[in-house]
Amino acid sequence: MIKTRMTAFALAAATALTPLAAQGEIEWLQWFAAENTDGFYDELVADFEAKHPDITVKLVTQPFGKVRESIVTDSAIGVGSDVLGLNMPWTKEFLDIGILEPLDDYLARDDNSFATGDLVEAPLGKIDGHTWMVPLNAFPFVMHVNMGLVREAGFDAPPATWAELSAQTSAISALQDGTSGIGMPFSSQPPSNGPILTFLPLLYANGGRIMDGTTPNFDNPKVVETLQYLKDMNDAGGMAPGAASRTGGVDLEEFIAGRTGFLISPGVHSSSITSRNPELDYTLVRVPSNGENAYRVHGWEIGISADSANKEDAWTFVNYLLSPEVNARAAKAANALPGNLKALDAVREGADETLIKQMDILSGDTPVEEMRQSPKAVGSWSVMTEEIQAMLRGDQTPAETATAVQARWIELAK
Amino acid sequence: MTSTIRQMTTKGTPYFFLLPGLVILGALLSVPLYKVVEYSLYDNVIVERNPTYVGLANYQTLLTDPGYWSAGLNTLLFTVGSVLGHMVVGIGLALLVNADIAPRARTFFRSMLVLPWIFTAVVVALNWQLLLNPFGLINYILQWMGLTTEPLDWLGDPNLAMWSLLLISTWRGYPFIMVSFLSGLQTVPRELYEAAEIDGAGFWSKFWHVTLPQLKPVIYGVALLDLIWTFQLFPLVWLSTGGGPGRATEVLSTLTFRLAFVDFQFSQAATVAVSILIISAAFTLLYLRNEARRL
Repeated sequence: MIKTRMTAFALAAATALTPLAAQGEIEWLQWFAAENTDGFYDELVADFEAKHPDITVKLVTQPFGKVRESIVTDSAIGVGSDVLGLNMPWTKEFLDIGILEPLDDYLARDDNSFATGDLVEAPLGKIDGHTWMVPLNAFPFVMHVNMGLVREAGFDAPPATWAELSAQTSAISALQDGTSGIGMPFSSQPPSNGPILTFLPLLYANGGRIMDGTTPNFDNPKVVETLQYLKDMNDAGGMAPGAASRTGGVDLEEFIAGRTGFLISPGVHSSSITSRNPELDYTLVRVPSNGENAYRVHGWEIGISADSANKEDAWTFVNYLLSPEVNARAAKAANALPGNLKALDAVREGADETLIKQMDILSGDTPVEEMRQSPKAVGSWSVMTEEIQAMLRGDQTPAETATAVQARWIELAK
Repeated sequence: MTSTIRQMTTKGTPYFFLLPGLVILGALLSVPLYKVVEYSLYDNVIVERNPTYVGLANYQTLLTDPGYWSAGLNTLLFTVGSVLGHMVVGIGLALLVNADIAPRARTFFRSMLVLPWIFTAVVVALNWQLLLNPFGLINYILQWMGLTTEPLDWLGDPNLAMWSLLLISTWRGYPFIMVSFLSGLQTVPRELYEAAEIDGAGFWSKFWHVTLPQLKPVIYGVALLDLIWTFQLFPLVWLSTGGGPGRATEVLSTLTFRLAFVDFQFSQAATVAVSILIISAAFTLLYLRNEARRL
């Protein structure tokens, strides 16, 4: 009797202490719900659970800046989530640690709710011979425009070329104290990613790249030319003062408040801009070109943890998220484009002008995403930030900046 | 036999009561401490499934890394500057709010002046970023007064960033010192001031010859505590400057975080953390010796 009770007690204790929940319960770690505060993702999970009564989903929401370190540390101590919200630039680092489950076999299944060929291509590209993530949504990096300031400075249309952008930023900065042509967020504060928000989109519109396959290639003429362009714009007063202490968040807030003419950032920010300041005379355009219509493609990706004990259930949930109907709802909620292009028509219905413009950019221009195969991507942003700060202070030339970044990045990747 | 068991039970009771505390201390202090030291002896952990034992190689790498010494020097500047700032402002304000004024006014000022202490580091960092922004209030006032012609990038200029950080740290940290000294001031016997006044002592003479000597034990203890806390301060620095511009405000705690969560070099990060631990332990020993002497 005593023995039976002891066994029952031990079983109960073991069940209570087991970190991975019972079969049919999966955990989804992401930052998406932090950017949609209207409860959309809670409803999405409830809808999924209603359709799949044998699976429950625990929604774990963290700010974007916290998710990467949580995935790594949770995985290390064996309490990682099953389904992971991912950012393409984290891919190579996560692969080196062995966090992600290859998705090739899942994608090859006949009973999926989507066709792999319909998914946005950028996150699917194979690294180490496998596909590691699928796109929940996608958006291009664009330039947001304060048309009120553009007109006040004497121009009729937003800039389409680098030369026009230089002219308009200087003219807007000259309007009055406290108004600047464009903000550049090159602060060292976390996530210290100003260069990938602003510099890379300008570089791609100049036909340049920073990677040669999986090897950093930062000291090339196109990079130097783009750095020189930034330096000239800063020297001409077109750039908001204090770039070295300006964060991406401040940059967005300053634009929303109507104090900067232009903002280069993901197209998904258009919903924040229009909802927070409906009075702003606002539009968005492709990042001004210097010879090439290319854009940095970005999005919210999804993967499955290699350590998940419920991979089948995790895939069932991912499969649900990628079905055209659900994917269209998720895209609309984020004011982004769907990861499943079959949902494009549903998203286009009732879409506002800014979303239509993003669709045009996506369909007509060349998408570029280099960071997903970059070694030490996050560390490399910090290095770029520090060297660009030094260049804008006048401590080094653009060519020296490119050389310094290349050397430090290679050292970091060793 | 029975008496032996009873004796053991009686003698063991105090240890039984100590057990929860020991278990908590063991779990929360000893295990992480042991793990950090252990991690520092491997090539890399957490991201490396099969780490290799490398002995003291990480310490050797660290001691030859200019980035470590630069962060160490910044930590020294930041710690000494902050503690001095806390002391000067804290003592000054403690004297002011200890003045013999209307009780309501005194309560009001004491409550207001303690406010910086209750704000979280995030709120403090964000507020000071707005104040120190090139278009912020501080630049506006300086230009309005004719002290500067161009807005200064307080947190983005390597020559100004550490000074700005010290200003923020002083503002955040003075209330603890102020409250400690205020309680110390209230224990100084009034007779000593009266005797000094009879001898013709003015404000400064009373401060140097009565107040400071009487507060000496409090000053020493509080300064050491402040030194220990500030030496390993992380959130305020990380959220205010991120260690930048460049590495102008990189301190040992931010270097630890950068190595761990930006570069995923967890063993190197553990090595820096151990060096912080050793220095903090030295300060703590000094503090404990001081407290023991006072008792």
